[in-house]
Amino acid sequence: MTLRSFIRHETFLAILLVLALFVLSWQSDRFFTVANLLNQGRLMTETGLIAIAMTFVIATGGIDLSVGSILGLTAILTGVFWKNLGVPLPAAAVAAIAVGTFAGYVNGLIITRFRVPALIATLATLALYRGLAEGVSQARSVRGYPDWFYVLGQGEVLGVPTQLWILLIAAVVAAVILAYTRWGRTTYAIGSNEVAARFSGLSVEGTKLALYTMSGFAAAVAAVIFVSRVSTTRSDMGSGIELDAITAVVLGGTSIFGGRGTVLGTVLGLCLIQALKNGLSLAGVKGDGTIMLIGIVLILAVLASAIFERSGTR
Amino acid sequence: MSADTPFVTLSGVSKAFAGVKVLKDVSFDVRAGEVHALLGENGAGKSTLIKILSGLYTPDGGTITVDGRQMKLTSPRDATAAGIATVYQELLLFPELSVAENIFLGHYPRTSSGAIDWSAVRSRARDLLDQLDTRELDVDTKVLTLSVAQRQRVEIAKALSRDAKILIMDEPTASLVEADVQRLMGIVRQLRERGVGIVYVSHRLPEIFALADRVTVLRDGAHVATRDIGEVDERQLVSLMVGRPIDSLFPKVEAAIGDTVLQVDGLNRGRQVRDISFSLRKGEILGIAGLVGSGRTELALTLFGMTPATSGTVVLDGKPVAIRSPRQARDLGIAYVPEDRGLQGLVKPMAIRKNISMATIDRLSSGIFIRAAQEARRATEAVKRLGVRCRSIGQPVGELSGGNQQKVVIAKWLETSPKVLILDEPTRGVDVGAKAEIHTIMGELVRQGVAILMISSELPEVLGMSDRVLVMAGGRIMEELSREEATPERVGAAMTAHKEAA
Repeated sequence: MTLRSFIRHETFLAILLVLALFVLSWQSDRFFTVANLLNQGRLMTETGLIAIAMTFVIATGGIDLSVGSILGLTAILTGVFWKNLGVPLPAAAVAAIAVGTFAGYVNGLIITRFRVPALIATLATLALYRGLAEGVSQARSVRGYPDWFYVLGQGEVLGVPTQLWILLIAAVVAAVILAYTRWGRTTYAIGSNEVAARFSGLSVEGTKLALYTMSGFAAAVAAVIFVSRVSTTRSDMGSGIELDAITAVVLGGTSIFGGRGTVLGTVLGLCLIQALKNGLSLAGVKGDGTIMLIGIVLILAVLASAIFERSGTR
Repeated sequence: MSADTPFVTLSGVSKAFAGVKVLKDVSFDVRAGEVHALLGENGAGKSTLIKILSGLYTPDGGTITVDGRQMKLTSPRDATAAGIATVYQELLLFPELSVAENIFLGHYPRTSSGAIDWSAVRSRARDLLDQLDTRELDVDTKVLTLSVAQRQRVEIAKALSRDAKILIMDEPTASLVEADVQRLMGIVRQLRERGVGIVYVSHRLPEIFALADRVTVLRDGAHVATRDIGEVDERQLVSLMVGRPIDSLFPKVEAAIGDTVLQVDGLNRGRQVRDISFSLRKGEILGIAGLVGSGRTELALTLFGMTPATSGTVVLDGKPVAIRSPRQARDLGIAYVPEDRGLQGLVKPMAIRKNISMATIDRLSSGIFIRAAQEARRATEAVKRLGVRCRSIGQPVGELSGGNQQKVVIAKWLETSPKVLILDEPTRGVDVGAKAEIHTIMGELVRQGVAILMISSELPEVLGMSDRVLVMAGGRIMEELSREEATPERVGAAMTAHKEAA
């Protein structure tokens, strides 16, 4: 895990991204336009926020499958708090985000206190939180939000979609934390060798608890942005988004076994996937074809990175 | 074939990985019915040589002759067919299968209809184990329930089941307790009587003098010497290995012993730490001897807060403390260099720099940011002070040899400026040169006033380094001996006293 192998994977991804952008803009003249690219940024913000938090979780060797359900639960609660309970919308959104964050905290508790593997714990809460969301919503959607609320998901600040600013800030802050702070260092240490981290006096449980809580928070913020973007609230929102986020993280070079990964890689992975999805659909490729291509790109990227790494360490 | 004709001969064998020569023109042979010890520091090329003999690596140059015929061993299967079997340090058995299944895996006896002849499997496995004086082991037991020593005997039985003429044993006693070591040595002698040639790799010189007929020393991938064991003494062997004379195996430094730093009274935790009381003074090395499972490591883990005590008092520098976590132990000035370097001590893929700063990362941070320049400077100093041999402080720790890895773990804990340093097996799996260096470091530390609690399975180390010795058995301290009182006989008797009483 030298600096060189880090740069390699990210450089490789960046080249792949440029290549994809080039080919796709040649395929359709509607693709490489400022308006379209900004709009794609808007569309990838929710997955992006979740993927950034997921980068930390996966770098510790864990995983959080429940983020999609937390998103759904938070979205529903925002609507229900506001419409059914009459709470002012900003307070409703904050309260819902608090619940989503708490849901993440519960994941962390189950994983650290009861030593349940993260995969199983969050698989269980994936079902649990989604069930709660559906129970609360009673299969009814909430609509008719005030206009100011749509600024978040449909508005612009300085010509750039509002939520893209949020994603950008989150990415920069997260990248700095992971690379330059003791929390980042602890994250990598846990992912590489949890036992040694504990034997070194690092706060393993505390760090994990904080990371799953952050993951819940990211999903909850994504939920509010999602609601604002699509103008409605439904209980099935965000289902499957955990897989999109994990794909971006793994494509970005984060090792699923932990100990390795960067936020920059995740962001590049995210952009590459979004570019492929949008560009291919503009080029007239059917949805199934796009999904298949993303799968192939993922496998190739992981293989390439494994080959780089092997030649690097010998 | 006369007794002196080698069964296997390697001549002029070389091997390189990615351009780095790890074995240069090495010649080595094994005769039937001899124990040929293979010695060398870590990185000297012993494992590469063994892997060539067992068919895992194909040499770049040189020839291999087995039983008079030149052959190519291109796979472990070839080696097995040629009568060469290997018992690796990390035993390669299938834990979920039974003893008998493991022994005959891959060459089960068949009935005339071609089905596996299970009754033959079981009876022949029984036979093989009986030949190894392992009558107590049931052939139907799953391997996962066996002790390391028992698994090793299963591995040996497996080798014999394939009619091995040559048996390679890689550090067979590294993780055995003394009684099992004796038993293993008995088995090795018995195999030699039966005409099996044994390649015996070990760091432990006393074993080599007790067992070997000949000894070959490798250094930096080159063959240094092959001698009959009668022609050399311990000192000569060590200087052959290291390439320079070593003054003393245990350089005991006389440090001024000061006030009591740590006072432990009636400490309890589970079945392995029972009513432990002792004191430790500044500048003192207190050795803890005991068999594996005597509660030595458990005591260390309790003092370090990994498994907090359930009762008893610990007084550190005159103040009573309750240690609940390693973090707290660290802040109080207690450091623990753990027994299992790879699992507990190091984050192997991480850089040396990051491993050295791991226990002090809070102190190296201003606000939340790590002060990278200071971290690098401290790591550079530590690497220099402890003599860690590495390309740079950015090199992953996993690439270092065992001794240098151990120095990194020690460096990590010295960064915390501990008052009490607990060393658990500080020189296990460390070559002779690095071992002497670690002992020298210990001497410097006590001179600076650090109090050291040293746990070791190696009796000469305990007796050679300690000012006082505690002997543990069954989770209790059986005896406390001064340096003068601590003779191998007395310590040995106290170590096993518990078992005899029980």
